[in-house]
Amino acid sequence: MNALEIKHLCKSFPGFCLDDLNLTLPSGCILGLIGENGAGKSTTIKLILDVLHKDSGSITILGRDNLDNIRLTKEDVGVVLDEVGIPECLNTHQVGKVMSLTFRNWDNDAYKGYLKALAIPEKKPFKDFSRGTKMKLGIAIALSHGAKLLLLDEATNGLDPVAREQVVELLSEFTRDESHAILISSHIVSDLEKLCDYIAFLHKGKLMLCEEKDLLMSRYGILHCTKAQLADLDPGAVLHKTESPYAVEALVLRDAVPEGTALSPISIEELFVFMSKEAD
Amino acid sequence: MKGLFLKDLYMSLKYFRSYFLLAAVFLAVSAFSNTNLFFIFYPCMLCGMIPANLQAYDERSGWEALCGTLPCTRAQIVSEKYLVGLTAQLVLVLIPTALVQALRIILFQAISWEDYGALMFMLLIMTCVSSSISLPFVFKYGVEKGRMAQYLVIGVVCGGSVVASLYFDSIRQLSATADIPAFLLCLAAVALYAGSWFLSIRFYRERELK
Repeated sequence: MNALEIKHLCKSFPGFCLDDLNLTLPSGCILGLIGENGAGKSTTIKLILDVLHKDSGSITILGRDNLDNIRLTKEDVGVVLDEVGIPECLNTHQVGKVMSLTFRNWDNDAYKGYLKALAIPEKKPFKDFSRGTKMKLGIAIALSHGAKLLLLDEATNGLDPVAREQVVELLSEFTRDESHAILISSHIVSDLEKLCDYIAFLHKGKLMLCEEKDLLMSRYGILHCTKAQLADLDPGAVLHKTESPYAVEALVLRDAVPEGTALSPISIEELFVFMSKEAD
Repeated sequence: MKGLFLKDLYMSLKYFRSYFLLAAVFLAVSAFSNTNLFFIFYPCMLCGMIPANLQAYDERSGWEALCGTLPCTRAQIVSEKYLVGLTAQLVLVLIPTALVQALRIILFQAISWEDYGALMFMLLIMTCVSSSISLPFVFKYGVEKGRMAQYLVIGVVCGGSVVASLYFDSIRQLSATADIPAFLLCLAAVALYAGSWFLSIRFYRERELK
């Protein structure tokens, strides 16, 4: 079963348009949503839970239409928004009590376990937390009510490298259960590279690409060559090029260049930057 | 909805302590004053502001958007705010005032039971009016724009209480003009409150939580 299916999703605001978005996230997988600021990542996550209302298209969460008894659906979805959203005066103990009265399957022992594992102070009010600790609390809440789908909006931002590693481990652990899935957006592409099975690029409200991560790595490469060497290639093989007076750096399709051509492996971040430039 | 209620209870105890203190002081003053209804109506207006102020904190902290992702309906989110307002009015104004004024009758015969009834009717009307005008605006446009309506209510309640005090001169004279018209006014105020509640739910369902 697919944990999440988005078909032909459209939403427009003044100055922004999310245009015909199609995404599928199979259960047991992690999909990373990458995009520049204002690309539509947060909008997509909010549309999924009807926090924002879609203009058209359909969204299916865990096999149910997102508007069909959404209250029940939300029991199975853990969310961390870019701005975590906990009232500033509450401490983690009070947050736990509020959430235990909100979620049917709230697991207080699990919550306390996450607080301890992520070193989140119990007595301090939320307003005194660093951004990283706020994010960690958001993640602890999202993991403590038996969710099957996690929607994480920039959830690793603000975390120090040790905490990030810890969170990445927790999330990997979460998807060991085949019925669980994660949609995560982040600017920190290295985290997504470690975590994700699928990668989607959003650019100015349009989906540029949604592929298996391993497929992406094997499909694209970077060619460092001269202008003359580049001119010899099939133009269809070159997706983007950056020229300097001495050399050319080009994003190419591995299958379309002559066998034996020396190509550097491409990182997800480089691929995204190349593709965004090409789209502009 | 119990979770939302608990969250607002924590926030109220943190942010609105001064309201509780003011309500207690004004209640004490009203126990010795027959002539100025302001001391009874002002705490009522303060309590009427609590739901909108809680909503302001929710918007500022990002709770509003987070709440949209929790397993509660928009109708529950709105209804919880109305219930918080009602609870505050009951606990801080209606019940204490009812008790204090009843004690004044029993101990000092300060006012008649007719005056008492009229006063409680007036208080009920103020309770209903104090939140019902501003909240639909708050839920439709957000707190910033909704505040304008709130200021309007403050003006109406403050002005109204002064005019009422001047017009009726004392609670004693209130009873002469109160009986049936006050009862009808009460019904109208309750209808206004119910209408406001319903309208707020409709507005909030349409609202996008950014």
